[in-house]
Amino acid sequence: MKEHLGSCRQAIIDGDAEKSEELAKLTLEKGMPVLEVIDRGFVEGIREVGRLWEEGELFLPELVIGADAMKKAMAVLRPALESVEGGQDRLGHVVIGTIEGDIHDIGKTLVATMLAANGFEVTDLGADVPVAKFVETAAEKGADWIAISALLTTTMPGQKRVIERLEAKSLRGDVKVMVGGAPCSEEWASEIGADGYAGDAVAAVALVKGQTG
Amino acid sequence: MNGFLDALREKVLLFDGGMGSMLIAVGLTDGEAPEEWSIKRPDVLLDIHTKYLEAGADVIQTNTFGATSIKLAASCRDGAPDTAALNVRAAEIARQALGEFIAGSRFLAGDIGPTGEFFPPMGTLSVDAARNAFREQAAALERGGVDLFLIETMYDISEAVEAIRAVREVSDKPIVCELTMERKKKGYFTIMGDSPEKAAEILVAEGAAVIGANCSLTSGEMIDLAGEMRSLTDAPLLFQPNAGKPEMAGGKAIYRQDPEEFADDLMKMVEAGANAVGGCCGTTPDFIRATRARLDRM
Repeated sequence: MKEHLGSCRQAIIDGDAEKSEELAKLTLEKGMPVLEVIDRGFVEGIREVGRLWEEGELFLPELVIGADAMKKAMAVLRPALESVEGGQDRLGHVVIGTIEGDIHDIGKTLVATMLAANGFEVTDLGADVPVAKFVETAAEKGADWIAISALLTTTMPGQKRVIERLEAKSLRGDVKVMVGGAPCSEEWASEIGADGYAGDAVAAVALVKGQTG
Repeated sequence: MNGFLDALREKVLLFDGGMGSMLIAVGLTDGEAPEEWSIKRPDVLLDIHTKYLEAGADVIQTNTFGATSIKLAASCRDGAPDTAALNVRAAEIARQALGEFIAGSRFLAGDIGPTGEFFPPMGTLSVDAARNAFREQAAALERGGVDLFLIETMYDISEAVEAIRAVREVSDKPIVCELTMERKKKGYFTIMGDSPEKAAEILVAEGAAVIGANCSLTSGEMIDLAGEMRSLTDAPLLFQPNAGKPEMAGGKAIYRQDPEEFADDLMKMVEAGANAVGGCCGTTPDFIRATRARLDRM
């Protein structure tokens, strides 16, 4: 078992999608505990990839390749996870997008990829997303979080408008809001009444993990 | 010989500063692409180019950073304008501003930014699509009468290479190529992991006459990069940092850096081996004027 966990971890670090999928299938075939394999195997791997990225040891391509391998493994394991006691509840749902007027996609996609790789359900609305679309989608999906990216100082006020709209629709109590993007900061998040600020994809995962479920 | 390269051999050249932040100051709104103003408000662009020239810029850049067909399709909400016409027009406006100044002493750079899309595995952009888009833009800028090409804010060296090759297919004019880098624990890198070593090797080999870096970093953060790149190549170097980090105040972006401090930092880059300097986001004609005063005292 310990060896299997190590292999799962390493397959993600190596960005080996094929191997990750194989190991996930093996997990099911051998009847190994799914939650444990995810938590102490695959998730350890993606966490290490995230750490190396933050340290500047790895870059965007390696991060994306690692996350893709993670997604491959999760696609195999997710159905099994849903039948596990406590498995379903652990997973939060995040609605994510780049705010209207802003077409910057990279950071947002990265956050979405890492959230999905860590087992969250993610609805990625893309870029240039209208304020109302964030709110409607979150309500429709029963989302736990809305994650709003803004890369321009001119589009940042849109993040505030999402929160205002949630309040106007009396939905603010149901969903948490995180903001991110180059010009954003902790101060900006607290100024507009967001629940958190994430400076990068790793921080976004930590934020959602810390406050969901 | 090309006048720009001759001038670069004789003295340190001063490029202009930010365009987007200048346009925002006079009313560019959310969801409007800055490039569209070449058609909507040519008077405003003529005024900005003129202000940079009056401040002492030797080189001005066309308002075409995001004017490839790929980027325009994403950034223009109400339908993208004709790519070629937009680029020609932007070059013409800048050329008109230059007309007031002595010919051969000031130069027009045709500005080319990234497509905004990624090659696999990050995205689905193909090499052909990138090359075609850059070629279309470069051909129009050439037609509009630019003196050189400035390929800038490139985060993927592979995309920069496609832009260089595309320009070479339609023009013999000098190519300047700037990557945009962050400072990591192990040194300067683009988000794709491209290093100054790689930039010095590949961009020069592909035919860039001048290489350098712009955006992402503040002037203070870019000084060491200038020294590092000088140690890696004999090619002329250009650096265009941002005016510090933007801060939000009352819903508006404020760049708090002092033009004098910025200009001092640019002079440190010149001491470290830069052959040309200028500004990026948040810089204004005041920043260029402050730098001009220092260069003239050299």
